[in-house]
Amino acid sequence: KAPNSLSFSLQAKMSRPVQARRLEGIDKNIWVEFVKLAATYSKVNLGQGFPDFPAPGFLTEAFTRALGGGNHMLHQYTRAFGHPPLVKVLAQFFEKLLGRDLDPMTNVMVTVGAYQALFCCFQALVDEGDEVIIIEPFFDCYEPMVKMAGGTPVFVPLRPNPPKDGKLMSSADWQLDPAELASKFSERTKAIVLNSPNNPLGKVFSRGELGLIAELCVKHDVLCISDEVYEWLVYDGKQHIRIASLQGMWDRTVIVGSAGKTFSATGWKVGWVVGPNRLLQHLRTVHQNSVYHCATIAQEAVAQGFQRELMLYGKPESYFVQLPKELQQKRDWLVQSLDGVGMKPIVPEGTYFLVADISQFKSDVPDVPNSDEPYDYRFAKWMVKNKGLAAIPLSAFYSEGHKNNYTNFIRFCFAKEEATLKAANDILQKWKQEKTSS
Amino acid sequence: EFTKVAADPSIVNLGQGLPDISPPSYVKEELAKVAAVDRLNQYTRGFGHPSLVKALSQVYEQVCGRKIDPLTDILVTVGAYGSLFSTIQALIEEGDEVIIIEPFYDCYEPMVKMAGAKPVFIPLRCKNDGNSASSADWVLDPAELASKFNSKTKAIILNTPHNPIGKVFTQEELQVIADLCIKHDTLCISDEVYEWLVYKGNKHIKIATLPGMWERTVTIGSAGKTYSVTGWKLGWSIGPEYLIKHLQVVHQNTLYTCPTPLQEALAQAFWIDYKRMDDPDCYFYSLSRELESKRDRMAQLLKEAGLKPVVPDGGYFMIVDVSTLNVDLSDVDEKQPYDYKFVKWMIASKKLSAIPLSAFCGPETKKQFEKYIRFCFIKKDSTLDAAEVILKNWNKQTG
Repeated sequence: KAPNSLSFSLQAKMSRPVQARRLEGIDKNIWVEFVKLAATYSKVNLGQGFPDFPAPGFLTEAFTRALGGGNHMLHQYTRAFGHPPLVKVLAQFFEKLLGRDLDPMTNVMVTVGAYQALFCCFQALVDEGDEVIIIEPFFDCYEPMVKMAGGTPVFVPLRPNPPKDGKLMSSADWQLDPAELASKFSERTKAIVLNSPNNPLGKVFSRGELGLIAELCVKHDVLCISDEVYEWLVYDGKQHIRIASLQGMWDRTVIVGSAGKTFSATGWKVGWVVGPNRLLQHLRTVHQNSVYHCATIAQEAVAQGFQRELMLYGKPESYFVQLPKELQQKRDWLVQSLDGVGMKPIVPEGTYFLVADISQFKSDVPDVPNSDEPYDYRFAKWMVKNKGLAAIPLSAFYSEGHKNNYTNFIRFCFAKEEATLKAANDILQKWKQEKTSS
Repeated sequence: EFTKVAADPSIVNLGQGLPDISPPSYVKEELAKVAAVDRLNQYTRGFGHPSLVKALSQVYEQVCGRKIDPLTDILVTVGAYGSLFSTIQALIEEGDEVIIIEPFYDCYEPMVKMAGAKPVFIPLRCKNDGNSASSADWVLDPAELASKFNSKTKAIILNTPHNPIGKVFTQEELQVIADLCIKHDTLCISDEVYEWLVYKGNKHIKIATLPGMWERTVTIGSAGKTYSVTGWKLGWSIGPEYLIKHLQVVHQNTLYTCPTPLQEALAQAFWIDYKRMDDPDCYFYSLSRELESKRDRMAQLLKEAGLKPVVPDGGYFMIVDVSTLNVDLSDVDEKQPYDYKFVKWMIASKKLSAIPLSAFCGPETKKQFEKYIRFCFIKKDSTLDAAEVILKNWNKQTG
């Protein structure tokens, strides 16, 4: 080897393209940018979806108890597909909810948050050439995950049908057009992703709407990936209906759930899938070749949380009764706040998100024609930098081709302490006054 | 399949690689403290909790002697397993070849295949004609290694200290690998989870510190192995920004963020040991001293039972040549390699478990390694006492 060429290559990076092609088109991520902005500028953060109130005492106590119990083996690997106490209680719980027998070893798998559950679904079930139907607006990870699995996302929008009586719009007013939905199914369609209650709109799909989707799944022999992480957060006496319980659906559906959303502990990253063994066996294969085990101690504590809820199911002390009650109040508070300043909230039936129409409120942030950034992105960035209030632009939840369809909406998270919501109201009121006086 | 054995309490389990010793008390205490802090129960930064990546950058700056940016040069993952997955998914694709040294930690092969690439195997060979007393006897043939590199070779996976043999690659051995990586413009994925577990007379050397290697190496570490907390499932990848950024893209599209409370507790534990990295009481050094005496005890017991242990220079595994016992298993299903049959026989008749070495080999080399089984010795004294009873009585019951 000539000394010259060796010393050149000592400084050199890899000279050939280094990253894998599967990363094409999936490198951008809204959260990386907006979480940074919120961390830098926000005084009141209603952006990223996590509670700023504490996780319930019974859950954190379970964590502490497990640690203090002297069983130091809780610091070592547990069963790869799910800590036995957790999969057992999840099976018991979902047996009740679905009205069918479940085997904790084969019908349940624990994952690192619902996020990793979704990853396992797409990797296990979607192949190159497969189409996957995604309902817009959607939790942003579905699209890159489908792409990373080599699939083609096919989008179908929820369309707003504003109420004619001048009342505030509800998330129920955003609906699929049945004919349009049916037209999206082709012989290449492998799966449809359903998210109910829906992030970001808060829509809770009705039995009729789910029935429509189910019929099409059965007709076209399509799988359903059902993201139900907000299953306990439904308001106004509405009911969360599980599509897997509809005729013909159990055998073709994977249900995704989240301890982070169920127990207000997003940082624990414990999620799960529930479904038929014929589908879950493939998710297990992906899981054992990607993370293999999930952290033990959080699973132990979540198991105890579920055991408590199993005993209190339906009772007023149940966290699953109390949490939605508290959040409904906060929702109503935020609705009032936004309505009071001229932002038009779409009242969500579920989740802890609320989308508001800012078209009457946007005078501070002028339109820039031919900008490559959708208007709501610019508005949200301006708002956090100048008013210290963080929220997420709705076009973040649309595919690349549709980002300019709805550019006058932003999403707020209301899983926040009263003080936080009050502070948000103060910012909004002050802002309104500044506008009217200028 | 062998982890089911762990559930049976009557069997002395020296198979699966997990400690049954307690993690250090300050590590457990740090975790107990975090449960009380509200915001630590919610999402943290996706690529790694700020206090953790800061602590990791400080520790590894010390070890590597170079500046490491906590935000761009580090990714925190779900165990080293998650780092291996993120690295391979980020940098390996269809048409690529990846060199894997046998025996190998079993996930390398399926992960490379899942990325659509072709694993190319090269075995460690015993230089003493099969008579091995130490892991240092197992070496790569430089000419054979060179022959495995071609224009399709995207990466080589290095594991030092090595599971299962316990080999600690020397400076010279790493230089041979480094020269080939540079010559063929290849990446190095360096699995260094056992980096702190090196025994007297040995030094762990990071291949990324060799000239020309930082820019083409991703180095992987593990909290589970560093602090005896395998159930925390936290690991990390460290390397140059232009490589790590692709791992971060994989991470943001697979699980997004790792658990917060565990990362915070780990960060605090790292600060405690970082401050005493010049002190022999630092856990990074005290654990390996503790394990060295377990290693020596295990080796002695095995020899007395007539087995031939390969004494490891690092890690917490020991491979053992069982052919000396001449246990006749020819009447058992022939399709299984000898070591699988031996382990099953040993579990059933001796109530002692281990892992067959052919589980760690590609198809061509299974024959070469089928006389070896792997024991794990990061076990508490009572477990080793129970193993001692079995081994001392071994010869009384054989036949």
